[in-house]
Amino acid sequence: MQRTTRLTRELSLLATEPPPGITCWQNGQLDNLRAQILGGVDTPYEKGIFNLEIIVPERYPFEPPKIRFLTPIYHPNIDSAGRICLDVLKLPPKGAWRPSLNISTLLTSIQLLMAEPNPDDPLMADISSEYKYNKQLFLLNAREWTEKYAGQMKASKPLEEKIVQSETSSSSSESTTQKRKGVSISRKEKKSRPDS
Amino acid sequence: MESSDSGDKGNIDQSEAQRQSQLDRLDREEAFYQFVNNLSEEDYRLMRDNNLLGTPGEITEEELLRRLHQVKEGPPQQNSDENRGAESAEDVSNGDSIIDWLNSVRQTGNTTRSGQRGNQSWRAVSRTNPNSGDFRFSLEINVNRNNGNTNPETEHEPSVEPSNGEDLENSQSDSEIPRSESPSIRQPGSERSSAEELAAEEASPPRGQRRARSRSPEQRRTRARTDRSRSPINAVSEAPRRSHHNTSSQTLDHSSAGEAEGSSRTRQHVTLRQHTVGTEVPSENAVLFSPPETRPAPQAAGSSENTGSSEPTAPGQRPPTIVLDLQVRRVRPGEYRQRDSIANRTRSRSQTPNNTVTYESERGGFRRTFSRSERAGVRTYVSTIRIPIRRILNTGLSETTSVAIQTMLRQIMTGFGELSYFMYSDSDADPSGPAPSQNVEGSEPQGTGGGTSGSENADVSSGEVYEGGHEASSTSGARREGRNMRGSVTFEESGSLPFLSLAQFFLLNEDDDDQPRGLTKEQIDNLAMRNFGESDALKTCSVCITEYTEGNKLRKLPCSHEYHVHCIDRWLSENSTCPICRRAVLASGNRESVV
Repeated sequence: MQRTTRLTRELSLLATEPPPGITCWQNGQLDNLRAQILGGVDTPYEKGIFNLEIIVPERYPFEPPKIRFLTPIYHPNIDSAGRICLDVLKLPPKGAWRPSLNISTLLTSIQLLMAEPNPDDPLMADISSEYKYNKQLFLLNAREWTEKYAGQMKASKPLEEKIVQSETSSSSSESTTQKRKGVSISRKEKKSRPDS
Repeated sequence: MESSDSGDKGNIDQSEAQRQSQLDRLDREEAFYQFVNNLSEEDYRLMRDNNLLGTPGEITEEELLRRLHQVKEGPPQQNSDENRGAESAEDVSNGDSIIDWLNSVRQTGNTTRSGQRGNQSWRAVSRTNPNSGDFRFSLEINVNRNNGNTNPETEHEPSVEPSNGEDLENSQSDSEIPRSESPSIRQPGSERSSAEELAAEEASPPRGQRRARSRSPEQRRTRARTDRSRSPINAVSEAPRRSHHNTSSQTLDHSSAGEAEGSSRTRQHVTLRQHTVGTEVPSENAVLFSPPETRPAPQAAGSSENTGSSEPTAPGQRPPTIVLDLQVRRVRPGEYRQRDSIANRTRSRSQTPNNTVTYESERGGFRRTFSRSERAGVRTYVSTIRIPIRRILNTGLSETTSVAIQTMLRQIMTGFGELSYFMYSDSDADPSGPAPSQNVEGSEPQGTGGGTSGSENADVSSGEVYEGGHEASSTSGARREGRNMRGSVTFEESGSLPFLSLAQFFLLNEDDDDQPRGLTKEQIDNLAMRNFGESDALKTCSVCITEYTEGNKLRKLPCSHEYHVHCIDRWLSENSTCPICRRAVLASGNRESVV
C-alpha cells in the first residue's frame, strides 16, 4: 500500500537525515511511532527531552498522523493530555494538512511551535494569558516543568546511566536514535521508582 | 525503489517473512503503476469511479484486470449487485451504526441501509449518479410506539434502483414516487413488508387492550399521543445527530459542483412532502425533505377500537414515520423550463384527488408551494420550496443567495420543530376541539396549528397521514398564525429544538461545511494530464514520495504542480487545494472560486 511504502521511506529518511533536534523511530508497528524533540536553545524547554507519540492513520497520507506529547509540557498550545493545537495536524478546511507534508516536517513544525507559542489560538487559556501578560512567570513555570518532566539524564544518576548503556550497547550498530531512546527509557524508569 | 529497499534492510528490523511480503507488495505496486499507465483514460476513469483501483500494492494486477473486465461487461448490474449485497448484509445491522454508514455514504455512492434501535427503525438510501453528479439521500424513520421492542424494519425495498443515471429524471421520479408512497399507502398494508406486517400484528393485541381499558376517546387519544410525541422526536433528533455531517456536506458538495459547472444554472428544491403525494418535483437540484408522520390514526375508529386486534386496525397501528428526502441535482440551462413544467404537471396530477388545496407564495426568489390533498382517508400535506441558485458566471454564488438558502432550510427545520411541538402539546392539552373540520377546510393556510391540532383531537376516524413539518415550510405568516392560535409562547423553544439540530446537519453547521470539501469527478477530469517522459527532470510525486517512472500518468494542477494521477485524484476527491502550495485548484483554474 501507498501508506506502507511511504512510511517506510519516511522512516529511513528520518533515520538517515533527521532534522536537528528530532529523532523518530518505529514503536513496534509501522503505524505507531515515537519521537523525541529536544527543547530548543533559548527557550524555556532547553535541555528538555520531549517524547511524542505518533499514530499513523489508515488513510495516511491523505489524513494527517495523530501526534501528541507524552512528556508533560507547559505550553499555551499543548494541553495536559499532550494534544497539540497546530493547523498542520488537522485536515482542511480547518487545518492545513496536505499529503506533501510528512512526519519529519510535522515534527519540525512542532519544534517550532515550542519555540514560538501561538497565544492567540490557545488550547490552554490560563497558560496562554500568562504567556501574553506575564511572560516572566510563564518562563519560570515552563522551565520548572521542563526540569521536572523532561529533565535530561545527568551525571547525578550514574547508576542508571550505566544500566542504560549496558542495555543499549548490546546492539552493536547503535544509532543515535537508539541511544536517545535508551536514555528516555531509563528516565522513565527513574521517575517511576520514586512514584511507586 | 532500490533506495527504499536498502533502507528497509538497513533501518528496520524485519523478519525475513516481513521483508518478503514487503517485496511482494512493492512488486504489486510496480505492477499497479504499470497497469494504470496502460489504461486508457476511459478505463481509468471507469475504474476510479467504481472504486476499483484500491491503493497501489494492495491488489495484484490480475485482480485489477479482472475488475476492469467485470466493470466493463456490465456496469449497471455490477452496481445493483453491490447494492443488493450491501443491503442484505447491512440490513441486519443495528441502528447504532447509522453514523458509520453515513460516513461512508460519500464513497459508496449507492447504498441502502437500515437498522433499528430501541423502538425506532430506520432506513436510509443514498444514491449517486456518477454521470450527472446527482445525489439523493433519503432517510426514513419509523417509530413504533406500541411495542418498543419488536420493531419492524421498514423494508420496502428500494423501490427502484435508478438503473443508470442517464435518465435520471425518470428514474428519479419513479423511484421517488413509490418510495414516498409506501409509507402513505399504509392503508391496506399492501405496501408494507411482511416484517412490518408481522410487527403490526404483534402490536395490535396490546393496543386493543389498551383501548379496551380506557374507553373514553379522550383519554385514549391522549395516551397515544404521548407515546407518539415522544418517539418521533427522539427519532428525529437522533437522525439529525447522526446524519449531520455527511448529508450536509453532500448537499454542499453538490451544489458547489453545480456552480462549478460554469454555464449551468443550478436550482435547488426543498420539498417537504408528506407521504402520499407524488408531487415530487422530479426536477433539478431538489432537496426533498419530507417529514411525514403517519398518524397511526384509527382509520375506522369505531371498529378498530372495538376489535383491537382485527386486521383493519393494522393500518391504524402503523407507526409514525418520518421521511426525509434530500435530492440534489444540477440543472442544465436548457432544462430549466421544461423541468418546471414537468413538476407542475406532476403536481396537478397529484391534485386530482378530491380536496386538494394548493398554496403558493413567492418571495425573495424562492417559491414555496404548499398543497394538501385528501384521498382515501389519507391526508397529505406537501410543501415544496424551490431555491433557484442563479449563477452569474465567474462571480460565483452571491453571498446573499447562500444566506437565503440557509434561511429557508432553517424555516423548514422550524417547521419540523412545530411538528414535535404539536405532538408535545397534544399530550398535555387536547384543546382545539373541533379540529377535524378545521383541517379539512383548510381555511387556515396550511392549517398549521389547526391542522395538527385538529387531527389530534378529532376522534379521528379518518386515518390520517399527518405531516406537521410541511406546514411550517409554507409561510412564516401562516406559521405565526398557527402559533397565535395556540397561544403558546414557548413554542419555538420547546418544539423546534430537535429539528434545529436536524437543521444543523444540513446547513447550519458552518464549521464543517462552509467550504466545499472536494472536487467532483468532472472537475478532476478536466485537469491536465500527461505521461511522464524520459526527458523530464527526475521528479517525485509528493503524495506517495515515489519518483516518477517512464510512462507514469501525471496530473498537472493549475499551479503547475504535478502528481501521480491516482494519488492526486484521491486527494482532490476530498479536498480542493494543491498539496504543495495549497492554492485552490478551482480558483486558480478557469472556474469560479470555491473557497
